[in-house]
Amino acid sequence: MSRPSRIPNLGGAKAIILHRPHATVSTITRQLAAIGLVVRDHWPELPADALAADFVFFDVDLGFDQQFPWRPGEAPTPIIALIGSEAPGRIEWALSHKADAQMVKPVGNAGVYSALLIARQSFEARQRQASEIAALQARVAERQTIVRAVAALCASGVDDALAYDRLRSLAMSWQIPIEDAARRIVALTEQDGRDDKSSRA
Amino acid sequence: MRQRIDIGVLYARSGSYRLVSEACYLGTMRAIADVNADANSPIELNPIERDPQGNIDRYAPLCDDIFRTSGARHVVGAVTSWSRKEVIPILERMGGTLWYACPYEGFEANEHVVYMHACPNQQLVPLLGHVIPRFGNNGFLLGSNYIWGWETNRVARDLIADAGGKVFGERYLPIGETDVSRLVDEIRATRPNFVLNNLIGTSSYAFLAAYAELAKGDAYFAPERCPVLSCNLTECELPAIGEAGRGHLSAGPYFACKSGQPASSFEASAYASVQVLASLLANNPSATFADLPIAFDGATYETPLGRISIDASTQHATLPVVIGRIGDGRFETVERIEAVAPDPYLSRYDRASVFGRPRLKVVS
Repeated sequence: MSRPSRIPNLGGAKAIILHRPHATVSTITRQLAAIGLVVRDHWPELPADALAADFVFFDVDLGFDQQFPWRPGEAPTPIIALIGSEAPGRIEWALSHKADAQMVKPVGNAGVYSALLIARQSFEARQRQASEIAALQARVAERQTIVRAVAALCASGVDDALAYDRLRSLAMSWQIPIEDAARRIVALTEQDGRDDKSSRA
Repeated sequence: MRQRIDIGVLYARSGSYRLVSEACYLGTMRAIADVNADANSPIELNPIERDPQGNIDRYAPLCDDIFRTSGARHVVGAVTSWSRKEVIPILERMGGTLWYACPYEGFEANEHVVYMHACPNQQLVPLLGHVIPRFGNNGFLLGSNYIWGWETNRVARDLIADAGGKVFGERYLPIGETDVSRLVDEIRATRPNFVLNNLIGTSSYAFLAAYAELAKGDAYFAPERCPVLSCNLTECELPAIGEAGRGHLSAGPYFACKSGQPASSFEASAYASVQVLASLLANNPSATFADLPIAFDGATYETPLGRISIDASTQHATLPVVIGRIGDGRFETVERIEAVAPDPYLSRYDRASVFGRPRLKVVS
């Protein structure tokens, strides 16, 4: 089995700092360059290629939604909040963007490296969770299909517990998820129904 | 009239890693003497010495004392990473610079520190790149219980896994501990292909002595078969190790080859630190940390480590990498790589270039 290296390979990664020209930008840029990243800063808007950046640092003090080429909370890359003022409205705005890590301004001589690693891990966890949730939601949405498939199998005279067992064993023998098996049975039943109707006509 | 400039010297003159510290101190004082003896030098360096005696809690107050009681803005000093990390907040507060002459575990690039000895891509990575193809890929990791051992062994774990090997054990001793019997028992029981020794000072000497005893009874543990590897072992500690060190391996930027030259890489690196600092101060006697990146950009320095440069963005030196085997009180060079640029965050690490392509395994 192959195993991903734990040595964080950050060389050549692209970082964008969304902050007005300021000492904060040069402090962060120095640390990012020392770690080996390629850095650009922008203000007030992120360019379209920010979508391809590996990390985006963004100013919370003066930031607003229209700066980003994505909807709040849907950044396609790890984002790191740069928090100066701790006004509750500003924190609330940063939260709406679901920052993966944060740094408090003024930024010191260290802190960028840990922010990068934390942001990347938290972003990946968020992505993983989102896809798991989407898969679970899709399965939940199939509950009605399962009910219909069980009802269809009951039509042959068995009770619903036995019908459900039969559905499960069909899914196993077809080697597909139970939701897919249910959909197949419902489709077959509906097909039969139509055939019956057409034969009566 | 030459300008007299204070510089701090912060090395322990006693304690469990005294031999390393003394080597750094010697290199520093020799370089200061040479600068001051140079009739062409526009400056004279005045050492402001403080001795933390190997007590970790003394470094920060003594560093602060140097800045408060003298004109010094630069300090040559600190041996352990722990002590370096202790003084960094003082440097930041006082606008000072530390010239650090020892190998360390990487993952740092403070603008108040100049890193004049090797970081992992200049010691650990090439050392395992040399050893694993020749001895095998299963290792046993040792360290003194602080950041140097923890982080170096952590990177070693990754490297060993990348090479397809296994870590048979990872054990730590408190600094100064000399009871190594359990470590040796575990190594005897697990039979690795090599032992990575990140113990420091007296713990390291005790381990090497016990390991040599082990090899006497079981030839499997002879250095030709299962060597002990170090990333910080130099000539300055060989007298304390004696015959027990013979045949084992170490990586560093320099091993002494002729008399009249610095006797170890610690001495050479401390000497080089003062040389580079003196050239900086000769051009600008009030130079501070803020002037370093511009001064380093494009500059090269002739030092006992060879002609070196210092990367302006990380303030780490570009250094040769030498892998040495302990012979008669000295190191014999077994491999040498010139001018390895520093990569303190291992951002350019590429497992294929260090260990070759991974062998494909049959998946059943």
